[in-house]
Amino acid sequence: MPNRKYSFSPAQDEDGPLVERTLEGDRQAYEQLVRKHEKRVFRTTIAILGELADAEEAMQETFLKAYQNLHTFRRDARFTTWLTRIAVNESLQILRRRRDTAALDDPETAPQNLRPHRVEEWYANPERHYAAAELKRIVEEAIRALPPTYRVVLLLRDVEELSTEETAAALGLSIPATKSRVLRARLMVREALAAYFEKPPTLRSRLRRATSMVRNMMAMALERPGGWFGGR
Amino acid sequence: MLTCQEVLDNLSCYLDGEGSEELRRELERHIARCAQCFVIVDTTKQSLRIIADCEPFEVPLATSARLYERLAHFFAGLL
Ligand SMILES: [Zn+2]
Repeated sequence: MPNRKYSFSPAQDEDGPLVERTLEGDRQAYEQLVRKHEKRVFRTTIAILGELADAEEAMQETFLKAYQNLHTFRRDARFTTWLTRIAVNESLQILRRRRDTAALDDPETAPQNLRPHRVEEWYANPERHYAAAELKRIVEEAIRALPPTYRVVLLLRDVEELSTEETAAALGLSIPATKSRVLRARLMVREALAAYFEKPPTLRSRLRRATSMVRNMMAMALERPGGWFGGR
Repeated sequence: MLTCQEVLDNLSCYLDGEGSEELRRELERHIARCAQCFVIVDTTKQSLRIIADCEPFEVPLATSARLYERLAHFFAGLL
């Protein structure tokens, strides 16, 4: 696993002061760090492990290990990235115990075909068609249906809003591998959500799709992509 | 002009506002003309917004409580 370095200055780490105070023995400072980061750590462990009991155990271990090893934190990354990396490792350890070691290696087991199947338009603001609790259930189900490695990249990148570099560092993946997983995860979750949010196909949408397909085929055949057939 | 496959391959660039000015312009151009790619780009963007807004997988209260309990035990043991 590459220990990737990227441009980062310690001054950018908003957790720096709390980390310092913790190292000086201030346990309340550590409690503040825990409060601030428990959401992200939990999302990481539940994404990898799937089961609540396991995710809870991994989260507890993460915060204990982070405290015990805080003096080894090098500050070449943000505290949150370092912490997420520990959460990933703790989760993997539990997986290994469950003999399910392949969870985060993917590529071979991943669906190779990225081609979207559901291509109908969605309702405007489709989330408004559902009560908040129902919407949350739909979204969580869509994410749960992804393989673990895709769940975790999606939650880190698109819910926790880590950068590509931070996501890669937290997971011990290369940047290209991270990018390709993020893309697949996004497309897969889109496909799952489309089942709830898309409009039923109309004659017009079918026609448009057929036209679009013909145009693409013609364009490819003629090597004049998009050419002469005009817009939609 | 880009093919639909190229649009798909570069979808993240587009959504994350990365990539060269030129690439982004090419993507815009394709999307403006291709109904299918327009839908895919638009609905992926919507998916990410919906997912982020609904804050999935929040820590259950009991799970959170047990975490602080465990930490308290741990610190007590250090005394
Ligand atoms: Zn297209």
